[in-house]
Amino acid sequence: MDFMNFAFLCRSKPASRNLRVAVIGAGPAGLAATGYLVCRGFEVDVFDKQPLPGGMTVFAIPPWRIPKQRVLEGVKRLEEVFGVRFYTRTKVFAGEVRHEEGDSLVEKSVPLEQVVNDYHAVLISTGTWESKIPRLPGVGSEGVVSALDYLYRVRVFELGFTASPPPRSRRAVVIGGGYSAIDAAEQASRMGADATIVYRRTVREAPAGVYEVERVKREGVDFVELASPVEVVAENGRAKGVRFQRMRLGPPDESGRPQPVPVEGADFVLEADLVIFATGEAPTPPVSRSEDVLRKLGLSLKKDGSVSVNKIYQTSNPKVFAAGDVVTGPSRVGPAVRSGLYAGRFVENWLETQLVKAPLTAR
Amino acid sequence: MASAPQPKYLRVIDLGACIGCGACEAVCDFLHDGRPFIKVYRTSLGLDIPLSCFHCSKAPCVEVCPTGAMTRDQSGAVYVEKSKCIGCLACLYACPFSIPELEPVLKVSSKCDLCKPLREMGLTPGCVSMCPAGAILYGEEALVYEAGKKRIAESMAKARFEALR
Ligand SMILES: Cc1cc2nc3c(=O)[nH]c(=O)nc-3n(C[C@H](O)[C@H](O)[C@H](O)COP(=O)(O)OP(=O)(O)OC[C@H]3O[C@@H](n4cnc5c(N)ncnc54)[C@H](O)[C@@H]3O)c2cc1C
Repeated sequence: MDFMNFAFLCRSKPASRNLRVAVIGAGPAGLAATGYLVCRGFEVDVFDKQPLPGGMTVFAIPPWRIPKQRVLEGVKRLEEVFGVRFYTRTKVFAGEVRHEEGDSLVEKSVPLEQVVNDYHAVLISTGTWESKIPRLPGVGSEGVVSALDYLYRVRVFELGFTASPPPRSRRAVVIGGGYSAIDAAEQASRMGADATIVYRRTVREAPAGVYEVERVKREGVDFVELASPVEVVAENGRAKGVRFQRMRLGPPDESGRPQPVPVEGADFVLEADLVIFATGEAPTPPVSRSEDVLRKLGLSLKKDGSVSVNKIYQTSNPKVFAAGDVVTGPSRVGPAVRSGLYAGRFVENWLETQLVKAPLTAR
Repeated sequence: MASAPQPKYLRVIDLGACIGCGACEAVCDFLHDGRPFIKVYRTSLGLDIPLSCFHCSKAPCVEVCPTGAMTRDQSGAVYVEKSKCIGCLACLYACPFSIPELEPVLKVSSKCDLCKPLREMGLTPGCVSMCPAGAILYGEEALVYEAGKKRIAESMAKARFEALR
C-alpha cells in the first residue's frame, strides 16, 4: 500500500450520524483523529494554515525520511472516499493573531470562536510551530534561522509554493542534538554546505541518538560535542560565525542527564554563513495568551503554552478537545498519532453521551 | 469439496526504511486498549527498533503449545485461540524473539494476530496502514518478496548513480 491509510478501520464511508467535527491542524495527530472519526460516521472538516495537509511530515521532515506522497495520497483518500473537507491556507485563531512560523502562505483567517460555534465538537491539533532560539548577541543577524523555519523554506520551495529559494550556504553551523538538528544539517549538506552540528552535551546524551549522529557523519556532516553558543559573530548585520563556550559534563540535572558546565576560559569561533538553531519548539495553540480570550472560550494554557486537557483529552470547554504536540510539546509522529486516535474516540464518546442527554444542535 | 488454498500473507518490516517514529505502536496500542503487539524499542545505539511477531512458517510457539491454542489462520497468521489457552507460556519459552505475553485479565497468551478483525473486513493490519515511512510491507507472500527485492534494486541503482560523478 502506497499511502497512509488514516481511515484504517473502514473501507468506505459509513452512514452519517449528522454530527460535525472540526479538526484544527492536519498533522499526524489531526489526520489520525480524522481517519477514526470518519469511520465512525462523523462529518469532519479540517482546517490548516498550510496549503496542504500533513503538518511537519510534509512541511519540515525531509522526504528521505518520510515520503510526502504517502501522506498526501492518504489525505486525498480521506477527501475522495470519505468526504473530508480540507480548508487549507486557513489559520484559525482567537484573539489578536500571533505571527508564528510557517505563516507565510496563509490566506484566510477564521476566528476560533466561529469554529467552536459551528461544530458539535472541535479538536485542536496545531503542533509546535514556534522555535525557541536562545537570546544571544547577534541572533537577529541575517543568516540566522531556526531549524523549523529553514526546513520549512526548503519544503515549500520543493513543493513549488514559493519562488524564493531557501537560504544557500557554504558553511552551516547547526546548534542542537535532536532530530531537527540532524535533519537541518543533512539538508544543508545535501544542498552543498559544509555542515557542522554543535551540541552542548556529548553524542551519548544527544536525543537523536548515536546511530543518527554517526550516520550523518558518514554523509559528511561534522559533529562537535561539548560546546554551547554564546554569540553569533556578525559583520554588517550578516552572520559570519558563532562563538562557542567549551563545556564539560557535570552532575545530573532534573532530567537525569549530566548537565553541561562551562570550562572557564575555553571558547572558540566556528565560521558560518548560515546559523541554524535546532534548540526546540514550543506549542502553538490557536488562541492568544490573553486571559480574556481564554476565559471566553473556556480554555486554559500551561506555562509552556501547551493546551491543558484532562485524561480524555478534553479542554475545560467540554466540546473542545486537543491532541498531539500542542498538548505534549515536541514529540514524534507515533505519540501524536496515538493521542489523535484516542482523542477521536473520546470525542465520539462525549458526543454520544450528549445525544443521550438532549438532541444536539450546532449553534 | 476442498476449497482452494488461500494465499499466504506476509508482513515484513524494512528496517532500512523505518524511522522509528512509533506510529505502528500507536495504532496497535489504540486497537488493543493500551497493550500494543508491535513495540518500538530505543536501543543503546539510539536506533529505534520495532518488534512484533514474525508469524514464522515453522513457528516453535505453535509446535510447543500443549493445548493447540497457539495456531495459524488461513492466511498464515499465528494467533491464540483464547478459549484453549491455559496460560503456561510454553510459547514464550519457545519463541526466539520473546514475543508472546500473558494477558493480565484472562491469563492467556496474547500476541499480534495481524489484526484479524480488520482483515476479516478486507482491511490491512493497523500498523501497515499508518506507517508514514512505508516501512511495513504486507500482502500476499510473493508480492512482498517482490516488493522487498525491488527496493534493494532501487537502492543499488541509486548507489551506482551516485558513484557516477
Ligand atoms: C525538523 C523536524 C524533524 C522531525 N523528525 C522526526 C522524525 O524523524 N521522526 C518523528 O517521529 N518525528 C519527527 N519530528 C516530530 C514530528 O514531526 C512531530 O512530533 C509531529 O509532526 C507532531 O504532530 P502534530 O499533529 O501534533 O503536529 P504538526 O505535525 O506540527 O501539525 C500541526 C498542524 O497544524 C497546523 N496549524 C498550526 N497552527 C494552526 C492554526 N492556528 N490554524 C490552522 N492550522 C494550524 C500546522 O500547519 C500543521 O499542519 C520532527 C519534527 C521536526 C520539526
